[in-house]
Formats: sequence, structure tokens, C-alpha cells
Amino acid sequence: MKQSRHTRRAFNFAAVASVAVLASVAGISGLQAQQKTIKLGITLPLTGADADDAAKIKNGFQIAIDEANAKGGVAGYKIETVVFDSATATAGQYDPAQAATNTKKLVSDPAVVANLGPQMSGEGKAMTPILSEADLATITPSSTNPDITNPAMAGTFKPKGKAIYFRTVTTDAFQGPNMANFFAQNLKVKSVYVLDDSGAYGVGIADSFQKQAEKDGIKVLGRDQLNPKEADYTTILTKIKGLKPDALYYGGVAQAGVKLAKQAYDIIPNMIKGGGDGIQGGSFLKGGGFPAVEGWYSTNAGPHLTEDPAAAAFVKTYQDKYKDVPSDYSITAYDGAEVVLDAIKRVADSGKEVNRANVRDAMQTSNLKTLQGAVSFDENGDIKDRTVSVFQYKHDAKYPDDDLTHQNPYIGVAPQS
Amino acid sequence: MESWEILLQQVINGVSLGAMYALLALGFTMVYGIIELINFAHFNIFMVGSFIAMWVMQLMGFTGQSHVLYGLPLTAMLVFVLCVTMVATGVLGALIERFGLRALRGVSGTAPMITTIGLSYILFNVILLGAGADTKNYSNPMPNIRWEFGDAVLHLRELILWGVSLVLMLALHYFVRRTKMGKAMQATAQDQEAARMVGVDVDRVVIITFFIGSALAGAAGVIFGLYYNYTNFGIGYTAGLRAFTAAVLGGIGNIPGAMLGGVLIGLIESLGGQYLAVRWTDVIIFSILVLVLVFRPTGLLGRASPTKS
Repeated sequence: MKQSRHTRRAFNFAAVASVAVLASVAGISGLQAQQKTIKLGITLPLTGADADDAAKIKNGFQIAIDEANAKGGVAGYKIETVVFDSATATAGQYDPAQAATNTKKLVSDPAVVANLGPQMSGEGKAMTPILSEADLATITPSSTNPDITNPAMAGTFKPKGKAIYFRTVTTDAFQGPNMANFFAQNLKVKSVYVLDDSGAYGVGIADSFQKQAEKDGIKVLGRDQLNPKEADYTTILTKIKGLKPDALYYGGVAQAGVKLAKQAYDIIPNMIKGGGDGIQGGSFLKGGGFPAVEGWYSTNAGPHLTEDPAAAAFVKTYQDKYKDVPSDYSITAYDGAEVVLDAIKRVADSGKEVNRANVRDAMQTSNLKTLQGAVSFDENGDIKDRTVSVFQYKHDAKYPDDDLTHQNPYIGVAPQS
Repeated sequence: MESWEILLQQVINGVSLGAMYALLALGFTMVYGIIELINFAHFNIFMVGSFIAMWVMQLMGFTGQSHVLYGLPLTAMLVFVLCVTMVATGVLGALIERFGLRALRGVSGTAPMITTIGLSYILFNVILLGAGADTKNYSNPMPNIRWEFGDAVLHLRELILWGVSLVLMLALHYFVRRTKMGKAMQATAQDQEAARMVGVDVDRVVIITFFIGSALAGAAGVIFGLYYNYTNFGIGYTAGLRAFTAAVLGGIGNIPGAMLGGVLIGLIESLGGQYLAVRWTDVIIFSILVLVLVFRPTGLLGRASPTKS
């Protein structure tokens, strides 16, 4: 009796399930008859300490995709996105382990032909081995650690050999050193203390800054590492105050950066302070706030774009759509998405199948006019342009406190070595 | 800066950190002393306290450094915020005990401790989802008053931090030593069964212990926010772990031990950072902890409990 009731229930379930499956299959094929769909992944740390900067990047991707879909798609394909958050609550910021988990999910979906992101090099280092195995290319608008595309480390980051990590910004092989040149030549800095936030990006950019600073004749009085989850940096700042360097350089992202800025404002208010693109953006500006961030220098691993006339239409679209100001990396994100969409179009136009391998090959041979100018890549996936821009946080009471463009004005291009 | 100025400044930094750790360590140690449970929910009660105080101040119209108060109004405001927060986190702690842990009392093994870890994660995620993941700019009504000794600086906020910690610790000490409830606590800590036999309401003692411990964590949360000028959902972990270490270093279950442990950890952190390197902070702290426990397994001031075999 008991047995048969179970059997009946199982049968009922099977019947319902199969009807549901049939219905959904019919639904999908009905849709496909109207328009073919392909997917792009988006992987960013959408929560946590860098959420604000990640949102600015995601919006940049989204505008490019929405524009393409509004024009009827790319070569007849409607573009859908699969979005993953690579931040975790325990890390409080991007989490490499989460980035790897997301990437595994991403590569298991055969409809995904390319990925947009990540924001952080720490994510990128965890993602690339998986992406390489799956032949799935990604394009990052902001991750700058040079190891990932360094041919000497190809065994780790692209075990299958082909470039799969493309960038619409340059790397810290230029961002750190050019800022060191700016410190030496423009700010006449003679001695510096260097800190990093123990992340992949932070350690890398601090190393490359330090190396060039020494070459430029700046005396490096010390180097230490912050734990980004620690609340108290007064100890290290007191130590730095005692050493009296001309300047402090911080390689790292917002989680430690915000606290460092607040406490540095109190302990070493008059020292020259600077960092990389990890503190260039809304997360640092809003989390630190004025007066703490006043005077901090920051860089971008690309040309300054939000005030470029070529990007004016984009900036307006962005402001209307998201009621916020874009960052330069919103524009490199838009450019990155454009590169991928262009690659898909070229693959489709050439009559080849739109799959991961073909899209990757097409991205490699990109030569596309974008908002930042012509984008093309070397054989490692790095962009050929190597501009690094310098900014300084300066309070302007005429504009809202979180208006990045006006509260963090552009100073100029950092000197190349 | 001369080397004595650096030393003085690092001692000021270290004592400030230590005062906060000590307040937080008291909650661990009190609960452990009474029911031999390590309450990991304590980490995030501290975090919730910093949020409650921020919301109270925002409701009163203080955001960022929008209004700066002096003298009596400042004192009144801080006392009010502290009281509201301490009552709120105290009630939170008592609720956790009543509905989360009482049913598990007397269950041997790690089940109650694991439950506190779970409760801790619930608090953590409630704040994460409710308040968002970004770092909050804290309300700060304190003027930037500073005294300089050579190049070393002492701020008003450090004095307030020390003062609040000292007053709360002395009050706790008096409460435990002198009041009837305090004596009931000591009795329960020594032997629950015997205390029950002489008429101590053990359930009431335990819930009051949770209330007081959590109220102190709330006070530490307020102080944290005012001192560092920020809060977010993740602050409980690092500070909580250090405070727990302080409680073990001083001798878990021992109230003066928690105070001593807290200040020691604070000083180790600042002096270790100055004379070695900040990146080694955790290595130094935990090495010292291991050394102390090897030679004095009960901690610096702890004594082997007479009744526990």
C-alpha cells in the first residue's frame, strides 16, 4: 500500500516534470526561431569595499550591450549577459576563490562565448588558468597586474598557450614606474615610504613603483604591508611620521586605502601621498570622504577619458541612465565590450561558427576605433597604448561630494621612462 | 621625531587599541567564566553596536562631522548614545542566550559553541543585507582637540576612549565583587549545582551575564566607530579575534586578566609594528600567546578552576 502510493507520486512527478521540460523546450525553440542568442559573462566584485567602482564598470559594459541589442543585435545575435559577483562577505572585497568558482560555472555554459571583467588582478590570477583551459577569452577594463600577461609566466596563467586575457588599459609595468617618475620629476620627491595591501595588484604595483623610484634616485626609507581587514594603521603611520619621508606611496585597493587615508590625514597631514588606480574612483572618494582624501594623488592605467569630447555622448547617456558620473574605467569597460562585440561580428560575417575559440582569435586581431582611440593588442593580450594619467583629489564645493570628475581633477600624463 | 617621542606615541596608540580589546575581551571572559562557553556571536554583537550608535546619532541629525559639540553637550550626547547602544546590544545578547543557547545548556561537546558561530554569521549577514557592504563614514561630533608632547600627539578621542573603558571596567569590577548579583555570578562560576542548591537562580545569572557582556561589546562598538571614524559589516572579525586572544592571554574566565590581556595585545601590536614590521603583527601576537600558554596554560592571571576536573 505504502509502496504503491510512493510509486504513484513518483509517476505524477515524472509526468509533471516531462510536461514542464517539453514546454520549456518548445519555448526556447520558439524564441530561437525569432532570434539567435549568445551570452557574455560579466565577473566583477559587485559588493564589498570596491562595489562603487565595480558598478561604474558594469554600467559601461551594459551600455555597449544595450546599444547593440537596440540595433537588432550583433550579426543577428541577441546578446545576453550572465553576471557573477566575485566579492564575498568574509573577504569584504574581491575574493580570488569566489572568482575561480564563478569562472568554473561560466565555462560550463556553452552559450557563453566571451567574458567581460574582472576588475581586480587578484580575481584575474585565479580566473585565467580556468579560462585558458576552456579557450574562453576575457577582456578587463581595469586589471593591471603585469604577471597575468607576462610571457615568462604563461605556464601559470595561460597553460594552453593562447592569449585569453585582453586589456583595454595598460599594466603596472607602466603604471607604478610612471608614477615614480612623476614623484621624482614633477613633485621633486627625494625620499618615500612604500606600503601595499597584500593583494596581487597592490604588491605588484608597489614593487614596480619602488624599483623605478630607486632608479630615479628617490630614497626608499621602508616598505611594509597592510592587512586590509585590520582597522588600525596608526602604528605604521606613526613609524612613517618618525622617518620623515617626503612622500608615501600606497599600492592597493579601497578597503585598506580608505582607512589609511583617514588615519594619515590625522598623523601625516602634510606629506605627499599617492597611489594607483586602486584608489582612483568612487569607492575611495565616498569611503574616505573629504577632508581625508584631500591631496591624495592617484593614477589611471590609460588616457583620461570622461572629459574627452569623443566620449561626451557616452557620458551623457551614462548620466541619464544611471544618475551618476562615470569613471574612466566605465569608458574602458565600454571599449572592452565594443571589442568583444566587434569580434563576434567579424566571426559571424566571415561565415565561421560563433564559438569561444573563433571569438578569441578575432579579439586577438582587433583593430577597432573606440572612445579611447584605436585599440589593438600585442600577442600577450596587452593594449599597445601605454598612457598613464595622474589625478589629485581636491575638494570643489561647487559640485556634489561624490562627483568623481570634479572632486578628483585630472593633472596630466605621467612621464614615461 | 625623536626616538622617545616615537615610543610615547606608539604607547598612546597601543593603550588605545588595548582599551578597546579589553572591553571586548570582558564579554568573552565573563560568559566563559560562568558557563564555559566561548561565545563567538560576541564578535558581531560588537559590530552591531557600532551600527546602532551610528544610526542613533544619524537620527539625532549628526552625519559625518556636520555638527561638532564641546563640553557638557558633548558629554551628554556621548553618554546618551552609549546608554542606548549598550541597552540595545545587551538585550540582543540576552535574546541570543534565551532563544539560541539556553536549550543547549548542559549539552556536552561543541554544539553550543558551533551554535554561537552560526548566530554570529546571522548577525553578520543581517547587517550586510540591511545596511549594505560599503564602508560607512561614521558620525563624529567630537572636536579635534589635541595635546602635543614634542612630536607625540594625544587626541581628545583617545582620552575619551580610555576614560569610558576605565569607568566601565571599574563598574564591572565593583558589580561582580560587591553586589548580590555579582556574588551569585561568582558562585555560579565556581559550581552551578551548589549555587542552585543555596538558592541562586542560575538561569537569571546566565542571562544577566550575557546582557552585561554584550553591553560592553556594544560600548566597544561605539568607541570603535568614534575612534576610527568608520564602520562596516566586517569589523567584528579582526577585532573580535584579537580580543579573544587577549582573554586567553590574560586567563580566560578571569576579569582582571581580560583587561591586562587587552592592553598587552594593544601594546604588542603597536610596538611590534614600530620596531619590527606591521606585516608581522599577527605572527608576533600569536607567537607570544603560544609561548605564554606553553609555560602558563591557564593564562597570565588565570588559575586552574577548583571545581572542574
